[in-house]
Amino acid sequence: MPEVISVTELNSRVKELFARTPAVNDIWVTGEISNLKKYPSGHYYFVLKDPTSEIRATMFASARGRLDFEPKENMKITAFGKIDMYVQRGSYQFIVETMKQSGIGDRYIAFEALKKKLQGEGLFDQTRKREIPRYPKRIGVVTSATGAVIHDIITTSASRYTADIILAPAMVQGEGAAESIVAGIKLLNKINVDVIIVGRGGGSIEDLWAFNEEIVARAIYESQAPVVSAVGHETDFTIADFVADLRAPTPTGAAALILRDKNEIRSELRSFESRLNRAMDTYTKGIKHRFEVLDAKLDPENAMNDIDMRSIHLDELSKSMDYAFMQTVSTMRNAFNSIDSKLRPESALMHIESLDSDMDRMFTKVSNDCERIMERCTAKLDSYKDRPERAIKVLYDDKSNSLVSDSRHLEGVSPYNVLERGYSMITADDGSVVTSVEGIRIGEPVSIRFRDGTAKAEVKEKEKRT
Amino acid sequence: MTDYSEEVEKMTFEEAIAVLENLVKDLEAGGIDLDKSIEIYEKAVILRNHCRKILDESERRIQKIMESEGQIKTEDFDVN
Repeated sequence: MPEVISVTELNSRVKELFARTPAVNDIWVTGEISNLKKYPSGHYYFVLKDPTSEIRATMFASARGRLDFEPKENMKITAFGKIDMYVQRGSYQFIVETMKQSGIGDRYIAFEALKKKLQGEGLFDQTRKREIPRYPKRIGVVTSATGAVIHDIITTSASRYTADIILAPAMVQGEGAAESIVAGIKLLNKINVDVIIVGRGGGSIEDLWAFNEEIVARAIYESQAPVVSAVGHETDFTIADFVADLRAPTPTGAAALILRDKNEIRSELRSFESRLNRAMDTYTKGIKHRFEVLDAKLDPENAMNDIDMRSIHLDELSKSMDYAFMQTVSTMRNAFNSIDSKLRPESALMHIESLDSDMDRMFTKVSNDCERIMERCTAKLDSYKDRPERAIKVLYDDKSNSLVSDSRHLEGVSPYNVLERGYSMITADDGSVVTSVEGIRIGEPVSIRFRDGTAKAEVKEKEKRT
Repeated sequence: MTDYSEEVEKMTFEEAIAVLENLVKDLEAGGIDLDKSIEIYEKAVILRNHCRKILDESERRIQKIMESEGQIKTEDFDVN
C-alpha cells in the first residue's frame, strides 16, 4: 500500500520544496504589472506578466514602504523576491522584496499612440459630442448577455424614467471582442434607438483592451445614436471613453446618467404645479384686490357711512348758517331799533318843533337879506335916472352924421346918375330892367327912361351879337 | 380644451414637459388677461396629467437583438 497523504501535507511539502530550491529564491524577474490591487493594509497584490505567461505577485506593506516610486498598472518592472506557497489554496506566488522600474508597458505605448492619432483626427472634439436625450424611449446596450453590466443596467433603470432596453449581445474581451462590439453598435443603429450604452465590468487592462481598439473608436464615432461608454472602474480610461458622447464612470452609473429618477421628475412636476398655483394665486389676488376696492365703494354700509359723514358736514354747515343768520338778524334789529326810536311820536314832535323854529329863523334871515338888497338896488337905480337921455342924444348925433355921408355915397351908384350922364334905360312892362336881347320878345312894348323923361316903344326886331 | 387634450395625448413626455415649463414661465411673467390666464392654467393641468400618466403607467420592454445572415431578430430578454 503506497503512502497516502492529505492535501495539506502535499501543499506543505511543495512549500518546503520551493523554499529549499535556490532557482526560485532570491531571484530577479522581469515583467509588467497588471491588475494591481491596493489593500487598506498597505499590501499590494498584482499579476506580473509577459506576453506569454503570468504569475500572481504580492508585495507586503513593509517592502512597498521602502520603494522610491509608486507601482502602477502596466508598469514594466524587474522584481526581486522568491516563490512561496499558499498552502490553503494550493497556489504559489512571487513574494516581491523590492522592484525596479524597467520601462513603460508596450500596451501603454500603443494606447498613447492611438489616442494621439484619433485626437488629431478630431474624434474626441467636445464640439462634435451629441446631446443625450433627456427622456429616451429606447436604450440600446452593447455588452455581454451574461455579464453583470446588463443586469446592473436593468436593475438600476427599473426605478427611473421608463425606457425600453434592447441588448445587442457582444463579446467584451478576448479574441474578436472588438469586432463583436462594432457589430453591436451598427446593429442598434439600424433599429433607431435613442442612445447606446457600450460597456463591460472591471478587469485588467488586457480584459478592457477591446475598448482601446481603433475599430471600436470609429464605430462609436460613426454611430447615429449618441453613445455612452461605461467601461470598467471609474479609474479606467479607454479610447472608447474619449470618443463617446458621454463617459459613465461605471455601467451602473450609465443607466443613472441616461434615465432621470422618477421621483426627481415627480418633484419637478410638483414644483411646476406649485409655481403655476402661486402665479395664478398672485394673479387672482390682484384681481380680487381691485374688485374689493370697487366693491367697498358700492357697499351699502359704506354708503351709509358716507351719508352720515355728509349729514355731519351738513349739520356743520347749517350751524354756521344759523350763526350768520343770527348775526344778520341782530344787525337788522339794531338798525330797526335806531329807526324805531326816531319814529316815536314824542321824539318826532320834538324834531318837528326844532325844524319849525329852524324854518322861522331862516325865513327872517332871508326877508332881511332881501330888504337890504332892494335898498341897495333902489339907490343904484336913482343914480342911473338921467343917464339914458344923454346916451340917446350922443348916439343920435353920431348916427345922423353917418347917414348924410352914406346917402352921398349911394347917389353915386344910383342908375339915375348914369342917365344924367346921357345913358338911357329900357324897362319891360312889369318895370324890370331889360339887360339882354334874350329877355325881350318882338312886338313887346317897352319903356325907355331918359334923364328927363320916359318914352314908350315897341320891339321891331332883335339880333343877338355873336 | 378637448381639442387640446387630444393634442397633448400625442405629445412625447419631453415635448409635454417642455410646453408645461414654458406655460409656467408665461404665467409667472404676468401681464396676461384673466381669460388667457385661466386658459394657460387649464392647459398646464392637462399637460401635467399627461406627464404623470406617462411617468406612472408606461411599462418597459427588455429585449435582445441579433442579426444572422442579414436577418434582424428581436426577442424578450430575461436577465436571470
